[in-house]
Amino acid sequence: MTILTETLKNEKTAEKTTHIVVEKPYSNPYYTGFGLGLVLLAAFVIMGRGLGASGAISTVTAVTVNAVAPEHAQSNEFFRGYIGDGTTNPLKDWLVFEIIGVLVGGFISGALAGRNKITVEKGPRVSTRTRFIYAFVGGSLMGIGAKIARGCTSGQALTGGALLNVGSWAFMLAVFAGGYAVAYFVRRQWI
Amino acid sequence: MNAPFYKFGLFGMDISLVVAFIIGIGFGFALERGGFGNARILAAQFYFTNMRVLKVMFTAIVTAMLGVFYLSLIGWVDLSLVYVSETYLVPQIVGGLILGFGFIIGGYCPGTSFVSFATGRKDGLVFILGVVFGTFVIGELFPYITDFYYSSAMGKITLPDVFGVSYGMVVFAVVVMALGAFAAAEWGEKVMAKKNAGK
Amino acid sequence: MKDKIMQLSGPKKLAVVAFAFGFIAMFAGNPYDNTFTNVNTKEIALSSMNDADKISVSDLADWIIKAKADYKLVDLRSQEKFEEYFIPSAYNVLPVDLSTSGLMRNEKILLYGDDNVISAQAWFLLKSRGYKGVYILDGGINAWKDQILFPKLIADATPEQTIEFNKMKEVSLYFGGAPQENSEQVNKAEIKMPELKAPVQTNLTTAPKKKKREGC
Repeated sequence: MTILTETLKNEKTAEKTTHIVVEKPYSNPYYTGFGLGLVLLAAFVIMGRGLGASGAISTVTAVTVNAVAPEHAQSNEFFRGYIGDGTTNPLKDWLVFEIIGVLVGGFISGALAGRNKITVEKGPRVSTRTRFIYAFVGGSLMGIGAKIARGCTSGQALTGGALLNVGSWAFMLAVFAGGYAVAYFVRRQWI
Repeated sequence: MNAPFYKFGLFGMDISLVVAFIIGIGFGFALERGGFGNARILAAQFYFTNMRVLKVMFTAIVTAMLGVFYLSLIGWVDLSLVYVSETYLVPQIVGGLILGFGFIIGGYCPGTSFVSFATGRKDGLVFILGVVFGTFVIGELFPYITDFYYSSAMGKITLPDVFGVSYGMVVFAVVVMALGAFAAAEWGEKVMAKKNAGK
Repeated sequence: MKDKIMQLSGPKKLAVVAFAFGFIAMFAGNPYDNTFTNVNTKEIALSSMNDADKISVSDLADWIIKAKADYKLVDLRSQEKFEEYFIPSAYNVLPVDLSTSGLMRNEKILLYGDDNVISAQAWFLLKSRGYKGVYILDGGINAWKDQILFPKLIADATPEQTIEFNKMKEVSLYFGGAPQENSEQVNKAEIKMPELKAPVQTNLTTAPKKKKREGC
């Protein structure tokens, strides 16, 4: 009996170590893109709409503002647009559920490839604190830009790009232009 | 076959949320596979060292574009029922530039930040909080920028309308452009790798 | 040629396929032009024969008073006519815009024009494109005026007809109409259309009922 548990223990630790060691490399980008394209196509065929992400954040933000200061939220056209007329729960929203799926899907994929770990992604030359400040500032800019542009990389560039939407293509080019324009000044963070 | 299924009334709102969840899983899975949960890989796009973002994005666009094009042609999908957002040219370019700044400074875009958070990246979580804050700020500023927000409205308009050529021509042009970009990206990566190795 | 393609790496095969499909796309036509759908002509002909798809104006008046919201009322007339007067809760959609207006195939859609002609055409168009619940307001806006807004008590009315008229009177007043008790002196031109209470809703997608945009 003791021998049995002993071996089990050994197997378990062995398993653990292999899990840590085996961090698979990312998949071929073209195959990944093909898969992503099929997911997008499925959204077109099943739902008649594309993918999105920032819309879900907007809904959650608007609901939060509404919970803290209802009158304030109702007087603002932007927040009101995401809260709706009160007949349905604003969180019962397509994009909110899609994003919950993204969290699950990302976790599953990361787990299968052994890539899930608590860490901070940054270049070797910056501190974690600096990285967090950059992430927050970048995120804020992203939130502002996504709302002015009516979507982010998923909703505009990817979805609208595949549907040959004029605004989406202009947006996509602007995103790359903006990124390359600033990249030099923040290179310390990454390389 | 009548598609989009939802718009043909094959299922209602509640089922659509289940569909959203399942499609989201596929979306998140693909993003993680592509390495998009990792800010360093996303940022590398802007230093020409790793062109994954371009490769994945354009392959996805080409795939979905060709798919929806041919499915509509054979009559399976009613393309007029697939939602195309309206174009507001100037705000979208300005928004795109700001978003591009945010992309390279923060390291993610909204979709990828969720994947990075799901795979344990703390900077992804901070980024999401930033997006929430930014959304709040733009919401508060919204009354002051309403005029700009709705300026240069062009309605639902596609590239074939603008260039006055057939839809298929633009499809072909996008495919050629994407393939050209892939070839350039492969070449550029090799050049950069050599350069970095020589350092 | 075939062997050469087989020797390529996976992504390169994908590229070849994409190029081929992209090339063919140039000659394949416009996906937005595609209008073939399966039309069950017999079913459509049958339902147009037995009046099952017609809704009377008094039924509609009843729905509006009871604030039923499980249907979309669509005004097919020109924008000028619509702005002059429309039946409460109606959306203005021109027949040419029907297929792109954001109406859903699973919705109950009630169409009206001046009379039955335009709505019958629109009914057929929507039915043939796979819309399930399409209905016609029988008699259109003319019937709405005659029976709801300006009902008349005919001179030699039977007691039943008088009772019926008194019922309609209340409905009529609800919609801001003017019931005509002495029909003979009435000059139609003098009748004023009721003022519009509700704001003009012309765009289905920005209507308050729909929560928000579909985009990202």
